[in-house]
Amino acid sequence: MISTTLQPAEVTDELLNKYETVIGLEVHCQLLTDSKLFTTDINRFGAEPNTNIGALTLALPGTLPKLNKKALEFAVRMGLACGCTITRRTIFDRKNYFYPDLPKGYQISQDKAPICQGGGILITTKGSDGKPVEKTIRFHHIHLEEDAGKSVHDGNDTATLLDYNRAGTPLIEMVSEPDLRSAEETGAYVTAIRQLVRYLDVCDGNMEEGSLRCDVNISIRPWGQEEFGTKVEIKNMNSIRNIMRAVEYEWRRQVALAESGGTITQETRMFDADSGQTYGMRVKETMNDYRYFPDPDLCPVELSDEWMEEVKAKMPALPNELREKFVNQYGIPAYDAAQLTDTKEMAAYFEELCSHTAHYKTASNWLMGPVKSYLNETGEDMEAFPLKAVVLAGLIELVETGVISHSTATQKAFPALLENAEQSPRELAEANNWLQNRNTGELETLVDEVLAAMPDKVTAYRKGKKGLLGLFVGEVMKKSRGTADPKLVNELLAEKLK
Amino acid sequence: MKEYLTLADIQHDLRAGITTCEELVGHYLARIESNRHLNAFVEVYADEALSRAREVDARIHEDRAGRLAGMVLGVKDVLCHAGHGVQAGSHILDGYNSPFTATAVQRVLDEDAIVIGRQNCDEFAMGSSNESSYFGPVRNAADPDRVPGGSSGGSAAAVQAGLCHASLGSDTGGSVRQPAAFCNVVGLKPSYGRISRWGLLAYASSFDCVGPITKSVEDAALLLEVMAGPDEYDSTVSTREVPAYSQQLEWKGTARIGYLREAIESEAVEPAIRERTSMLLDQLREQGHVVEPIEMPLLHYYLPTYYILTTAEASSNLSRFDGVRYGHRSTEAKDLESLYKKSRTEGFGDEVRRRILLGTFVLSANYYDAYYTKAQRVRKLIKEETERLLTQYDFLVSPVTPTTAFRLGEKMDDPLQMYLADIFTVQANVVGAPAISVPNGTDAAGLPIGFQLMSRPFAEEHLLAFSNYLMDLINAAENA
Repeated sequence: MISTTLQPAEVTDELLNKYETVIGLEVHCQLLTDSKLFTTDINRFGAEPNTNIGALTLALPGTLPKLNKKALEFAVRMGLACGCTITRRTIFDRKNYFYPDLPKGYQISQDKAPICQGGGILITTKGSDGKPVEKTIRFHHIHLEEDAGKSVHDGNDTATLLDYNRAGTPLIEMVSEPDLRSAEETGAYVTAIRQLVRYLDVCDGNMEEGSLRCDVNISIRPWGQEEFGTKVEIKNMNSIRNIMRAVEYEWRRQVALAESGGTITQETRMFDADSGQTYGMRVKETMNDYRYFPDPDLCPVELSDEWMEEVKAKMPALPNELREKFVNQYGIPAYDAAQLTDTKEMAAYFEELCSHTAHYKTASNWLMGPVKSYLNETGEDMEAFPLKAVVLAGLIELVETGVISHSTATQKAFPALLENAEQSPRELAEANNWLQNRNTGELETLVDEVLAAMPDKVTAYRKGKKGLLGLFVGEVMKKSRGTADPKLVNELLAEKLK
Repeated sequence: MKEYLTLADIQHDLRAGITTCEELVGHYLARIESNRHLNAFVEVYADEALSRAREVDARIHEDRAGRLAGMVLGVKDVLCHAGHGVQAGSHILDGYNSPFTATAVQRVLDEDAIVIGRQNCDEFAMGSSNESSYFGPVRNAADPDRVPGGSSGGSAAAVQAGLCHASLGSDTGGSVRQPAAFCNVVGLKPSYGRISRWGLLAYASSFDCVGPITKSVEDAALLLEVMAGPDEYDSTVSTREVPAYSQQLEWKGTARIGYLREAIESEAVEPAIRERTSMLLDQLREQGHVVEPIEMPLLHYYLPTYYILTTAEASSNLSRFDGVRYGHRSTEAKDLESLYKKSRTEGFGDEVRRRILLGTFVLSANYYDAYYTKAQRVRKLIKEETERLLTQYDFLVSPVTPTTAFRLGEKMDDPLQMYLADIFTVQANVVGAPAISVPNGTDAAGLPIGFQLMSRPFAEEHLLAFSNYLMDLINAAENA
């Protein structure tokens, strides 16, 4: 036994590399249904406390649950997108425990026959060689359940306030297999889930408001060991970055403990974003017996072929399908495709752009460059991007046909169009005299003037200092005050310098 | 005032101007007052019932009254009625008023029934004697030292003593039929899912049924017809069409009837009950019906199955009564855990606590398979056995109870003896079939005896028609 305890921060890479980290996640997503899971009470974040609470939400005596079919559809949508087996006869169970924010004294959840089983989601991380590595993280299952209310402590420790607005909000919980091995993979996994639920319009994925939450189960084992180590559950992370920080810290903490001869205890720990550390909850951990049993107030739900077909027909294109399509149909690089499918709004915009211009790669560059910069600067979503695809396509066409230069387009025309999105790019360019000079005669004069002014450089170029070409082009462009078509200038110079 | 057997008689006199709803309500209010010792009502809505009676009288006058005009009803204290208290005979719901109305209650109100008050019952409908009520026991009008049965004891005693024309009760293992038998009235437990449970305080969700207690089969049929049918608030209610039961009460032809041999041979059944049951079976044979003894090999499993599953469901259903949002909250609580423990300990009576503990035990991880899972399997077997018998016979019959009404306090210290009072009634709830209790005379001491008939699920029209015919047969024999 080593007497001094190793601190997590002191753990060297060498020690860390002795262990494999095994991580599994439970991700909860609040569904974007109009009403709650088992009642018509409104489902909305941010309302005044205790305003969306009808008889059933408060579990008044004599109330009975009635399943919201929309929530079921959302869960099935997620299941279909993840290649899960959809349980065609699904059952709701009661999970019994007492807590003030749980009005019925039990939560309606799914235990034995959850709506989706198996399946998984593809994540991409950067490999040690810098190249992207793909990996599928398997789901154990996805189940539907209702959210609890919120307990608010008023600060003086004498009273607890209860807000039942959230009680009964539909959730899907995705329970992964312990397939994740690092903080990076864990971050990529949550990112992929968030992206997917947004694509599917089932959840807004907002982690700060708690509409997407996750619990991390993490353990370590020496490389090569078959059986899992003792797992620790971590809660209270409200961003992907914090999830990754929590995993990173907990990994170090467990290695430090193992290396100091300590024992890892099975427990729930809270992540503290300020310190970046995890803390054991100072409550007595008793084994909860939830006494699951089928809810006798709800009949088993049988999903008909017809209903399943309807849900399938309404499925939107998924990010990986779009990535493939962009690479194959538009011939853009895989990297571009991944960037453009980050959100479904961006992907849709790209597709629309491609219906107005055949310069697909250029279109992609515009979106990844100027458009993304604009979004980053303004903090806006693609949904709020002011330019119609047809307008941006018009601008791209002007550049591609040499009517205006790329730099004029990005630095002058684009900002002007953002200011006034109703203008036509061509009229704008004409009004501002941005059209490129393609008059060969005029340009030839300029080229001659420039070459005549720099005889030494011309000699040097002819002797093999080919790099000087850029200098000549620059000078010609300057003389034309940016109106010259650089392509044409290049051609003319090449001719003259032969 | 005249004793009315059926609503049809009342409506005849209302139309003829012989009486009015206001007069009827006044009469029942006076009866309630003079029978306070029965403790049948927890709360009486005197002014409200009178003013509603005047409204209904006006509608009768204008010839636009509902089908239940003239029906003065008592409602068991387990059915919600907006703006009225409901507390399932329990201290834990002290002061609780429901903001909504049970579907069954709403439907009778929509047909102009008048609710005169809420009726005493065993706490959370758990009991067979009406002695577990926080409001104290109800007494049997045939002998005030005896129980009226339970759990709908107040509802049965009220009809028996003429405190209202009919009652709405609930039946989880016999809670309508057993008190009906003890009180000489008709009690109907419909098929599971025939009447919506929305607004019925749950005891055991997969067993609970709302059911009427009346003086005639005719009124039971009419009340069922009004209350039954699909309801968007209850996922377990049947969407089957509701037959016009009240229009199909004439029985024609012969029936195939199976009876449990033990019911007329077992020493555990009181001699007078065996005798009355045998006599009735003989009469049926004489009328040309096929009456045969049947075997129910699983009989001994009925009660254990019933008690394991109902207590399991009850332990969860009653978790919401925690002192946090409504009802009784202990003033002694110091923290969250003591708030739960003290509120629930103070709020629930012994029988309810016993069943919550039993149910919590059978659902606990280490015993779940041995009890809950096994009981679910046995339930399925009992269903199969009963369904098989119901393909061979139109009706399965038995006495409703092995004894007549027992003395107050007699079985309070012996829960197992008390549970045996349900031996003949639980089967219908375990399998979800409809069953009815009709009066079948009395023993030498004048204590009522009930006869039970059970039919295939959702065959209430046959059950009611045959029961109607049977009551005529019994009455004819009585008068002969």
